[in-house]
Amino acid sequence: MYKELDPLLHSQLRLAVMSILISTEEADFVFIRENTGATAGNLSVQLDKLKEAGYIEITKTFRGKIPRTICKKTPKGIEAFEKYVENLKGYIGVK
Amino acid sequence: MNEHFTEKESLELIGKMINSAKNNLQKGLGNVFLLWGYLVASISLVIFILLIILPGETSHYSFFLWSLMAIGAPVHIRMIKKMEQQQLVKTYIDRIMDFVWIAFTISIVTVIAGILITTMLVLPSFTEVEPGFEFLRWFPWTFVTPFMLCLYGFALFVSGKAYQFKPLVTGGIICWIATLVLLISFHNPHLLKIQELVLFISVIFGFIIPGHLLRKKENSHV
Repeated sequence: MYKELDPLLHSQLRLAVMSILISTEEADFVFIRENTGATAGNLSVQLDKLKEAGYIEITKTFRGKIPRTICKKTPKGIEAFEKYVENLKGYIGVK
Repeated sequence: MNEHFTEKESLELIGKMINSAKNNLQKGLGNVFLLWGYLVASISLVIFILLIILPGETSHYSFFLWSLMAIGAPVHIRMIKKMEQQQLVKTYIDRIMDFVWIAFTISIVTVIAGILITTMLVLPSFTEVEPGFEFLRWFPWTFVTPFMLCLYGFALFVSGKAYQFKPLVTGGIICWIATLVLLISFHNPHLLKIQELVLFISVIFGFIIPGHLLRKKENSHV
């Protein structure tokens, strides 16, 4: 039986963000933007959605005088991602 | 990015994004290797030359040049701070490697501190050194270089395997071979000179060459 995929993660950009954060301790906004190819505006909106859902934490800090945004996954985010991948396996027939 | 995508595309995207952070070399890592590489290489080379040109026991004072290693610490701290500022992503490998090199430094400091205490305090104060056993005052120091090289080998090998960067792995293996050479040279009357020369050669292969290659790799990633 197919389980419903988390709509928050079943979106290319948000899934890309979560995949990067799953494999890292933390990642800078610039790194995520460069690797996803997203525009800064769209990425900001999607990051806010993930933050509101409690999947990620966003810390604003400074690199010298330049402001930087650091993103980190939360335990809730890890759980949601693992569940998403598990449900995904059902769709493509992986046991 | 497209909002509608298939489950297969979804899995492909996950794989692609996870790979994007893999083997992400920290910019500036090469400079750290070069700092310590050139510092150790220059000091060991100067000591090696002094051991040859200075007469007898006087030449042993050249070992005090190792205290110059302390100048590397503030430069190292500045480099690490700069690296942290420039670092766009921190992976688990980065974190584990930080701990490997911290453990490496603590191990070396522990051994040097222990030998300093025994040769400067314990032996002169509490032990009556019988005639013919005066070598005990300096002999423990001869273990520092092989121990250090063995630890270099360990840290370089682990770093090389973690970052999948072969020159570091090769450097590590060369350091282990160098350790073996030093440990089987204890009978040699030129042991001290051999140690400095072997250290000089090992640092070229373990730090300087990988350092330059790392810098080249870092720049090609930009």
